[in-house]
Amino acid sequence: MATVPGAVLRLGSPPWMARWLESEPQPLPGSWFADETPQIEVEVPAFRIDRRPVTVAEFAAFADATGYVSGAERAGHGMVYGERFWEERAGACWRTPGGPGTGVDDRADHPVVHISWSDASAYARWAGKRLPTEAEWELAARGVQYRIWPWGDQWLPDRANTAELHAGRLDALDAWLDWWRDTCREHGPLPRTTPVGTFAPAGDSVHGCSDMAGNVYEWTATPSRLYADDAPCDPALRHVMGRYRVIRGGSWMNFRYQVRCSERMHGDPGGWSNFALGFRCAASAREGPARDESGG
Amino acid sequence: MAKILLPAGWTHGTETEFDVPDGPLTEVLKGFAHAHPAHRRRLLGDDGEPLAYFNVYVDDDPVARADRAAAEISADSVVVIVPPLAGG
Repeated sequence: MATVPGAVLRLGSPPWMARWLESEPQPLPGSWFADETPQIEVEVPAFRIDRRPVTVAEFAAFADATGYVSGAERAGHGMVYGERFWEERAGACWRTPGGPGTGVDDRADHPVVHISWSDASAYARWAGKRLPTEAEWELAARGVQYRIWPWGDQWLPDRANTAELHAGRLDALDAWLDWWRDTCREHGPLPRTTPVGTFAPAGDSVHGCSDMAGNVYEWTATPSRLYADDAPCDPALRHVMGRYRVIRGGSWMNFRYQVRCSERMHGDPGGWSNFALGFRCAASAREGPARDESGG
Repeated sequence: MAKILLPAGWTHGTETEFDVPDGPLTEVLKGFAHAHPAHRRRLLGDDGEPLAYFNVYVDDDPVARADRAAAEISADSVVVIVPPLAGG
């Protein structure tokens, strides 16, 4: 694990980020990103955080040791983006990420996917760790200094696993759909994850964490809230505040804009997961067993 | 008229609030999707029925999957659709 010194962090994005996003050739309105503003000052005590997302092999060791059955396994289906749109694919889970007929034998060092918030929390408890808070995650991803991506402010497509690594530059949803349909027809709906740490060290954060931009979406412990009660927010998105948990980092499915260090997404913690969703763990930096410090 | 509110991420900067007739929730959603075909693939499955995985809030109260078939939308209600992965 990487040890991150305590710091006062200005969590979120400065006002110029929304203007920059609107000026860029990307399809979403600036208001869609308003939940990452205004910046708020947060005191983050020292902590430790996994340098890499939890892998298939690590989650398999947990499941083998405990008999844990994931949310997707219990439900009998997992969310997969098919050729048309998201679908609940029967049999899709962390063991069979694209559904029946797919597997993880050649993916032991890939991040585990189809992980619900409860699955991630259960693993973390077993490992004597916990999920990172949103502020810890962002501090580990960019340091105290504001950086758009873990390595800096210049987009470099070969430093992260995004859709642009696979498809080349993407500016519009239609181009993404064309790429994904072609990929699905050739390989099936398999997640396009890469082995954890593939882009190290060039793609690492200042604190030595890999895959903070892309590869898999990552759960945090933090309930979704606006940074200020009067902050602008898309009216539909406002309904998840207090209900969802913050997800960070973007994934292999996304454009460059969704894998920014301050980008916020929000996930339903009620058992839902998808084939691009994983996690990493954190722990207190203090001496002693992390299990005791996490409140059990 | 009731209203449907969609995430701005679905509408790409265009209108997110729509007037819809009141009635059974399922019929309200199907009627909306037929009237606005650009949103059909996000709302209805191949069988023409509303997809079950997105979350539905009626007047800020979540409507569980199991309760949607019986849910009625009144003329002053607001139906909010939010996917399980929202934002960004």
